[in-house]
Amino acid sequence: MKVEYVTPFVTASVSVIQTLIGIDAERGKLSARPQLFTSQQVNIVCGITGEIEGQVIYGMSMLTAKNMASKMLGGQEVKEFDQLAASAIAELGNMISGGSSNQLFQSGFKTDITPPTIVKGPNISMSNFDIPTLVIPLNVPEVGEFEIAVSLRQRKLQAA
Amino acid sequence: MAKRILITDDALFMRVTLKNILSSNGYEVVGEAENGAQAVKMYSELKPDLVTMDITMPEMDGLEALKQIRAADANAKVVMCTAMGQKNMVVEAIQSGAKDFIVKPFQPDRVLEAVGKLLAA
Repeated sequence: MKVEYVTPFVTASVSVIQTLIGIDAERGKLSARPQLFTSQQVNIVCGITGEIEGQVIYGMSMLTAKNMASKMLGGQEVKEFDQLAASAIAELGNMISGGSSNQLFQSGFKTDITPPTIVKGPNISMSNFDIPTLVIPLNVPEVGEFEIAVSLRQRKLQAA
Repeated sequence: MAKRILITDDALFMRVTLKNILSSNGYEVVGEAENGAQAVKMYSELKPDLVTMDITMPEMDGLEALKQIRAADANAKVVMCTAMGQKNMVVEAIQSGAKDFIVKPFQPDRVLEAVGKLLAA
């Protein structure tokens, strides 16, 4: 796990959120976890495959998820976290992962992303080959706090 | 007569968003496919004027669906609409016959411009 794998996710998050809802996200301080887990209520899990492999979890509180879904749906009220709201949040994760994959590609790493999965918490841990995790908090004014947990490693080349 | 469009995306949110943009601008959304396999099937059933195609989907991805649709109909107009905007993806899609490539998130005008250009009477 390298810090340079994290930067594309932060950059992509800020860019995607700005394009989607016109708000500038502010990143917080990086922290580390020995394994991939989340204590957030709503989590989007995206797999990254290819020359860099692992998982990324975008975690947030239920309130933040509803606020974000509402903004993505043009301001309509989201009373219940229904299928449409959940789909909006999943798509958010998909777009950020896609943008990050593009940046990783530009840094020389060819990757692909898997369709996102929504996992409702709290307290979820994932078995992930024990790849250490780096966590970046992202504060989006008017919406809430997101937590991006990145657990990636360079794929080992096959032995000749 | 309104031009007929088939939307393909595994995300309900995306299908709803695209349908809103297209139908409020004079197009008829005749079908919504949730993955590439459904898109291939619905294409042959509905024969739409244009298809929007996501790439990252379960069952069958959009690049594979694009190739199958183009193999069945060399005149098929497919516009990729995806979060995966890497150069090699764009190249592969265009080489496989996609007419345009839109990266998400997009502004509604980007979609309307792409669709309008291809469906100009």
